[in-house]
Amino acid sequence: MSIRFKTLAELKRLLENKEISSYELVNETFKNISSSKTNSFITLDEESALNKAKDFDEGKVDGDLAGIPIAQKDLFCTKNLRTTCGSKILENFIPPYDATVVDNLSAAGSICVGKTNMDEFAMGSSNETSYYGTVRNPWDLERVPGGSSGGSAAAVSEGLVCAATGTDTGGSIRQPAALCGITGIKPTYGRASRWGMIAFASSLDQAGAFARNAEDCALLLNHICSHDSKDSTSISDEQENYLDNINNDLKGKKIGIIKEFDISSLNKEVQDSFEHSKKIFEDLGANFVEVSMPNIKLSVPTYYVVAPAECSSNLSRFDGVKYGYRAKNAENLEELYIKSRSEGFGDEVKRRILIGTYVLSAGFYDAYYKKAQQSRRMIKNDFVDAFNEVDIIMSPSSPSSAFKIGSKTEDPIEMYLEDLFTISSNLAGVPAMSIPHGFAKGLPIGLQLIGNYLQESNILNFAHQYQKNSDWHLKTPNLGESS
Amino acid sequence: MDNKTVETISYLARLKLDKDKKEKITKDLENIIDFVAELQDLNTEDIVPLSNPLEKVAPKREDSVTSRNRKEAFLSNSPESDQDYFMVPKVVE
Repeated sequence: MSIRFKTLAELKRLLENKEISSYELVNETFKNISSSKTNSFITLDEESALNKAKDFDEGKVDGDLAGIPIAQKDLFCTKNLRTTCGSKILENFIPPYDATVVDNLSAAGSICVGKTNMDEFAMGSSNETSYYGTVRNPWDLERVPGGSSGGSAAAVSEGLVCAATGTDTGGSIRQPAALCGITGIKPTYGRASRWGMIAFASSLDQAGAFARNAEDCALLLNHICSHDSKDSTSISDEQENYLDNINNDLKGKKIGIIKEFDISSLNKEVQDSFEHSKKIFEDLGANFVEVSMPNIKLSVPTYYVVAPAECSSNLSRFDGVKYGYRAKNAENLEELYIKSRSEGFGDEVKRRILIGTYVLSAGFYDAYYKKAQQSRRMIKNDFVDAFNEVDIIMSPSSPSSAFKIGSKTEDPIEMYLEDLFTISSNLAGVPAMSIPHGFAKGLPIGLQLIGNYLQESNILNFAHQYQKNSDWHLKTPNLGESS
Repeated sequence: MDNKTVETISYLARLKLDKDKKEKITKDLENIIDFVAELQDLNTEDIVPLSNPLEKVAPKREDSVTSRNRKEAFLSNSPESDQDYFMVPKVVE
């Protein structure tokens, strides 16, 4: 039986009905990974995964996700399993503990098969900054899968695993989900624990999920999210069961369209898909309202002050002393720091550390960093005002479909604009997701649904109803004979 | 963004740029700073800076020992250690 492209819910049913064993499932997963051409994984954990599968088959494990193979983005610390964050500087790093998200998913019985490739320290929108090689988009191997969680997105898109974790600092779940034609969700900032996630920009980073549809994402989120006293920004409000409301009626619900996002400047197919998706929601009884968010155009510049500032501070911990890469032949301690960091970090990471150092340095702090924090509040206020009017906000997930590998690497700003539609949700901290909703130039594109604070179940409800009335999420890439 | 500024911030960040990449990175940094400069014209009078979307005060906890001593586990990740210590080049002459 082919397990490729099966959903999480389908695999659960097959295991429950004993139509397949977890061992067969995991074994088949590794077979598929070994013939894959996308470079989605950095490290595999075959022996341990097969042992866990045997334990499940012998009735020793239960839980909501029991016996199901999943993949973890290589940004989550995994106990005794190498965690590189896509960087040379962590090439040999073996964490002594599990991230809370990893712990939660193991406690639910899922089996981690390996760590997925990603842009170095999650800095990138194409997966080209990974020290472990570019990930290729399963829909066209000459194109990028998006980033930074490109390995996770490609692995789910290609049907290697039915689910994977990701992290989203400025669009790193939603943009690759869109470019790979799958569903991805980033919950409210603070809803999932950041403990054991290697920090990029702490006030923006948030863990989330990739799957083949919204229903699977809801199931995953039930376990990814939790209150965690080890993360000081973890939300303690009661957590709902995200599957409870996915079948709610959309009649009379209001969807906001952001006036300041100029969709008419985008590719015709992106525009047509957007109109088509509006029609689907209208047929389900939802109404569209234009909302004005005058400060949203400040999102990308605001982000490229705030995120590098936090990154320069967070990445100062990599100095070649306690863990990570250490340069050889350093004469003194300062040289050890400088050589280890300069040899261990890639160009994009260096660029962001330098920008962050600049905007935080004496004389520039008020002009850049403080100003960006003020515009961040203005953007947040726009969201608060908009959600007084509407239930969710809808936009494209990215300006276009997947681009050719190498086509945007020369100009960092062109790459930064990939996240034009996604960045504002991170600055405000609201939940958002991307669902497949059409094709442009023969490649998948995504629809972004943004919810109010802690309203994950609301966007999942809209997404699930959309998917019950469309088949974009059922489309799969043609992998050719060799795969 | 001139050479001298790039050298100063590189030193602050403890990074040394390769000679052949320096020119490109300087240009990139200049473009990025130009790109974010539009924020400077923004009227932000009376706007309180937002550093975290939740705006919550960090919770307090009991000051009690919660972790085991895992010295060996942590030292094992060090590029160079000696029994109880992380080793670095000589600091004091």
